[in-house]
Amino acid sequence: MPTMTKPGADRQPETDGRDRFGRLVRAEWTKLRTVPRWLMALAAVIGLALLVVLIESDQAGNEVEEGEPLEEPEFRDELHFVHQPLSGDGSITARVVSQEDSHEWAKAGVIVKERLEVGAPYAALLVTPDHGVRMQWGFEHDVAGSGGGAAPWWLRLTRSGDVVTGYESADATNWQQVGEVDLDGLPSTVEVGLFVASPDVVTIARQYGSNSVNEAATRGEAVFDNVSVEADGGSPSPGNGEWNDYDTSVEPDLGGSTESDGVFTLMGAGDIARNVRPFGDDLVELSLSGARVGMLAVAALGALFITAEFRRGMIRTTFAASPRRGRVLAAKAIVLGGATFSVGLIASVVSFLGWQANLRRTSRTPGLPELSLANPTVLRAVVGTAVLVALVAVLSLAIATIVRHTAVAIPLVILPLLVPSILSGGLPLPVANWLTRLTPAAGFAVQQTVTRYDTAIAPLVGLGVLAAYAAVALGVATMLLRRRDA
Amino acid sequence: MTAQRARCLRRAVRAEWTKLRTVPSTPWLLAAAVGLTVVGSVGALASVDTSQCPTPTECFEDTTKLSLTGIWLGQAAVVVLGVQAMSSEYGTGTIGSTLAANPSRRLVLLAKVTAVATAALVAGVLGVLGSLAAGRAILAGNGFTSANGYEPLSLADGPTLRAAAGTVLYLGLVALLSLGVATAVRDTAGAITGVLTLLYGFPIVAELVSDPRWQHRLERYGPMEAGLSVQNTMRLDELPIAPWPGLGVLATYAGAALLSGLTLFQLRDA
Repeated sequence: MPTMTKPGADRQPETDGRDRFGRLVRAEWTKLRTVPRWLMALAAVIGLALLVVLIESDQAGNEVEEGEPLEEPEFRDELHFVHQPLSGDGSITARVVSQEDSHEWAKAGVIVKERLEVGAPYAALLVTPDHGVRMQWGFEHDVAGSGGGAAPWWLRLTRSGDVVTGYESADATNWQQVGEVDLDGLPSTVEVGLFVASPDVVTIARQYGSNSVNEAATRGEAVFDNVSVEADGGSPSPGNGEWNDYDTSVEPDLGGSTESDGVFTLMGAGDIARNVRPFGDDLVELSLSGARVGMLAVAALGALFITAEFRRGMIRTTFAASPRRGRVLAAKAIVLGGATFSVGLIASVVSFLGWQANLRRTSRTPGLPELSLANPTVLRAVVGTAVLVALVAVLSLAIATIVRHTAVAIPLVILPLLVPSILSGGLPLPVANWLTRLTPAAGFAVQQTVTRYDTAIAPLVGLGVLAAYAAVALGVATMLLRRRDA
Repeated sequence: MTAQRARCLRRAVRAEWTKLRTVPSTPWLLAAAVGLTVVGSVGALASVDTSQCPTPTECFEDTTKLSLTGIWLGQAAVVVLGVQAMSSEYGTGTIGSTLAANPSRRLVLLAKVTAVATAALVAGVLGVLGSLAAGRAILAGNGFTSANGYEPLSLADGPTLRAAAGTVLYLGLVALLSLGVATAVRDTAGAITGVLTLLYGFPIVAELVSDPRWQHRLERYGPMEAGLSVQNTMRLDELPIAPWPGLGVLATYAGAALLSGLTLFQLRDA
């Protein structure tokens, strides 16, 4: 039985479809690689990326003051701690009577700390003004307690072997477990006590036509009573029950404590958490920033890949050879996407490595972060940049198919892609962030490796926004290509 | 002799003007230039409010410059206009007829300069007036009132007039830069990409560079940032480059592009 073919389609049976598509892809690849100007555009992507990297890494080392480490610690361990040693198993109980609302995440509570040293392992049970009771450990683990609401709260931490368990209570009779953590290798004598911390506040205000950012310490203050430390089996306390002060507040004069008749008042500033570095440079993103300029060449190539055929009437030959227009566009998108992905990958790997090497050579600062391609976050940014380049090329191809004019297609791709980041400095931060989230410019988020105060969108979500633009444009382009005369 | 030359030029200009205004894309591009400029300005104006400042009197906002933000978008349409005035002749082969009718290439380019600049300046005047009108309408509602130290925008105010006139001239120069680059490279895609890279490339790199020396250089000698320096009405002594010299930087780029375009135009076969 002869299979049905669409009018105008060639006579080969449909079962050959895959093979014919393979040939179509080969044909488009031949077109791409035999036009010298297009190869120049591909080379320009790498060239522009490297040029930007050269300019930037020329100075990247100089900006660092001598002796100032470029790498900040992974965590912040700032608190005022009123402590005493505890030998063996036991518990500490206290009531947080009141807490100043110095910050929504201000912390006041009880803590078990391995030793008096910044970064030492700990488990803390604490009250916050706006987020209720929490149990936290390891600078990034956070478990919410049952009840909402601020102080007063009764808090208790018990230590049994390596396991620390936190309990909360509203009335000192009904206790509820909040969380349990295994602090591996906890020594037999640990420091237990009361602590207060209060994170910095970041305020952004508009002045002189741009955003001025201010980070200021806040002073947390809380009152505790009914404080008791009990050792299991009644072993005597090594410190004879005497309380001592330990302060690592972000500004030393903000920390302190007073005690009278068993009522403790503690003041402290800072945070015990992962360091979010809201103002730090993203060294990986900087090293890949040449892609922004390279995008101009990518957009031009993507548009020309189809408009050149429209202009020369070549498209009629192409459609005569393979009448299924959707497949032609798909083949073009695959070839263009593949070629630009490869070139983008070369450009991003070379600029990342070149930037790193140059930074290391020009900077006299010890303690530069060791960033390698094996780091998954770095790898995401570097490979993501190649995907970004390919998506922009496909978006440009689709838009050019829709508007059929190179001169219109290129600005239509370039303006929404590049202008948001140029304008964002002069717009209020929330507006600038929304502009980034809603335009194809969101795709550049994939180059981020740290979260800053002005981060608009998560890396992969941003790439998804760009991919959605490309997919919708490709869909519309396919529809129009089928419907319109060539 | 000079009278004859003037007549030739007049005829050439009229020919170019006829070509430009009868191409269907021209009214669209001019409308896009005006529309994008006004829409961009309205967007920027609507997003800024004195409540975002520490106090309403401490904004130190350059309201004139803010009202003219849309030029960042509108100029792209002018780039397309300037490039296509030349490159479409090469794309379609009309350049042969043009040169047959008027063999003096210098005259052809001069006529194109006149026609393109006129169109861009008209679009510029409309876009700038529209943006300033939007500024007058929106600013007071967002707290930029006389009580907070902001007088309504007025062209009677010297710095505002300079910003407005300078922005119109800026668009004219961008059109000439585009025409010059298009004459040199003859190809639409190449010319548009080249001009957009010249315009947007500098601020992108300047934003990412953290070395103040390089930042200063890029802001001082980039055609867009230097040219738009003319929009400032406040704190002129803190600018990387003063208003008129900044526009001069753009004019230098445009002049260099036209000159190299003319040289290649005269040396090459059409």
